Amino acid sequence: MNAEGGIKRLFVANRGEIAVRIIQACRKLGVEAVVGVSAADRQSLAATIADRAVCIGPAPATESYLKMGAVVTAAKGTGCDAVHPGYGFLAERAGFQRLCVEHGLKFVGPSAAAIEAMGDKLQARRIAAELGVPIVPGTDHVRAAQDALAFGREAGFPFLLKASAGGGGRGMRVVRSPEEVATAFDSASAEARAAFGNPALYIERYVEHARHVEIQVIADSHGNIVHLGERDCSTQRRHQKLIEEAPSPVIDQDLRARMAQAAVRLAGHVGYTNAGTVEFILDLDSDAFYFLEMNTRIQVEHPVTEMITGIDLVAEQIRVAGGAPLSIAQDAVRFNGHAIECRINAERAERDFMPSPGLVTEWQPPAGPEIRVDTHCYPGYFIPPFYDSMIAKLIVHGKDRAAALSRMSRALGSFKVAGVHTTIPFHQAVLAHPDFRRGRGTTRWVEEKFMMQSRLTENLT
Amino acid sequence: MDLTDDDVLKILKIIDESDYDDVRLEIGDFKLHVQKHGNAEHASPAAPSDNREKPHATAPAAVHAASAVAPPVTSAVPKAAEEEPIPDGLVVVRAPMLGTFYRAPSPGEKPFVEIGDKIGPNDTVCLVEVMKLFNSIKAGVAGTVVKILVENGAMVEHGQPLILIEHDLIDAPGKIQ
Repeated sequence: MNAEGGIKRLFVANRGEIAVRIIQACRKLGVEAVVGVSAADRQSLAATIADRAVCIGPAPATESYLKMGAVVTAAKGTGCDAVHPGYGFLAERAGFQRLCVEHGLKFVGPSAAAIEAMGDKLQARRIAAELGVPIVPGTDHVRAAQDALAFGREAGFPFLLKASAGGGGRGMRVVRSPEEVATAFDSASAEARAAFGNPALYIERYVEHARHVEIQVIADSHGNIVHLGERDCSTQRRHQKLIEEAPSPVIDQDLRARMAQAAVRLAGHVGYTNAGTVEFILDLDSDAFYFLEMNTRIQVEHPVTEMITGIDLVAEQIRVAGGAPLSIAQDAVRFNGHAIECRINAERAERDFMPSPGLVTEWQPPAGPEIRVDTHCYPGYFIPPFYDSMIAKLIVHGKDRAAALSRMSRALGSFKVAGVHTTIPFHQAVLAHPDFRRGRGTTRWVEEKFMMQSRLTENLT
Repeated sequence: MDLTDDDVLKILKIIDESDYDDVRLEIGDFKLHVQKHGNAEHASPAAPSDNREKPHATAPAAVHAASAVAPPVTSAVPKAAEEEPIPDGLVVVRAPMLGTFYRAPSPGEKPFVEIGDKIGPNDTVCLVEVMKLFNSIKAGVAGTVVKILVENGAMVEHGQPLILIEHDLIDAPGKIQ
């Protein structure tokens, strides 16, 4: 057995760049990696580099990557002793965690109880409030449209209706006037029921000028928990993050310490183990921060934290899941310089970010010191139309934000892709924009200002 | 409609506790047909672990080897399920889902088919189990069993060839392609 705890062979229950990333972490730890692939991913990079690839079902995710039974059967059938769920798919399904454990598989993530406590947003809000972690002013469960109307009359418009089981903007509505309440309530509730099987809604005050700042935590099963600072993910479109950076350009040492302390308190309270992220919304008008939600998995944007701390989060996840103690203590965590990540999607930004799957005829990612590309693409790869459109994450590091920004601009400029459309030109335009360079844009800047400037939009073509 | 494995188990439990032997459930495109105590093909207590009722897989199990779109195996990675070329004129029965392959309805029982057996298109040739759900795999064609490619109890991948059948052309003239 290897020295890093109990895990000898790990099943990768995911696809794309994160599957590749997990397999690489396994290599580093001397852990064997088996990847479960759909019929559409038999030729994927993950399938090629893994010790073994197993076809778990046909192309649609509901028939393959989301099939808990098939994943667990495949993991057991190939002699794995652990499952890494990556992000998305089954990563935050408490039932999947339980199924793995019932079948003697270690789950690379927190307990089912912790997933459930944080997965229900209303419960997470209650826990945060009990612990004195600030939450966005709002309500508990709102049972009827009249109650939402009463809230609006008292506290004012606009406000947000959100789904308790929600995430990714689904089951969420901005309510701007009393006339909108009834329709918004019914549609948000119906959407939440359809998407999550739970129609419960609550209200949050609408923060007009917000930044999205999140704290990375990681905990082992020996009671150790550390935070690895923040990531700023304010450059978003329709609640999808596009660019992430660390440290945040808008918070100071004191605010960072208070946010981190709140995140650690929350994670500790629910007995959290493994990697997790506590998301906050920062009100730029008041500098107040509020707990938004906790993501109980590794996140897409984890590399920016790795770039400034030098800590391999995915390897650390596998180590602690195997029972090893954290390899880092809080007082040994150092933050060095600045890192930025651009999510490169196969999409046409100028056509409302329409997906652009197909054959990648040319693929030359940038390379060099302080440049990292996490990807599953290669020349001749066919991007299947069934899944997420993200094809690469370009991450750069610099001694400060200005150095990181100019390195990112150069890296984007030398990234050569042909055969499919990508969001590289979009990122170049964002990076060149003075608002972005100043680092004061809100979470709605891309939609409300950047994309509205038609001259820039034309330049994207 | 999205059904989880848990949902299926719950539905089966409700049916199991009911007094009905045969249940057909249709919700839009979703169709479920469950028979308790097996049917003509499975009169004996079925399933390797217990005699739980079996939802019958309706996935087309057989395709002509000549026209089969076999997943290309070009990867250099050693795979347990390395696919051997299928001789012309034979029909291959593939696993419609990942699971555990069983040749017999339960341990110690006679296998569904042996090499040389004459079979009809609706004959069950094996079971594929996923999390205690047993899916009967049909031959799909009339013919003779030529080869059984997988060991009893082995895990099979989605789309993996399981059994080769020599198509009985005389018995099924309408099916010649």
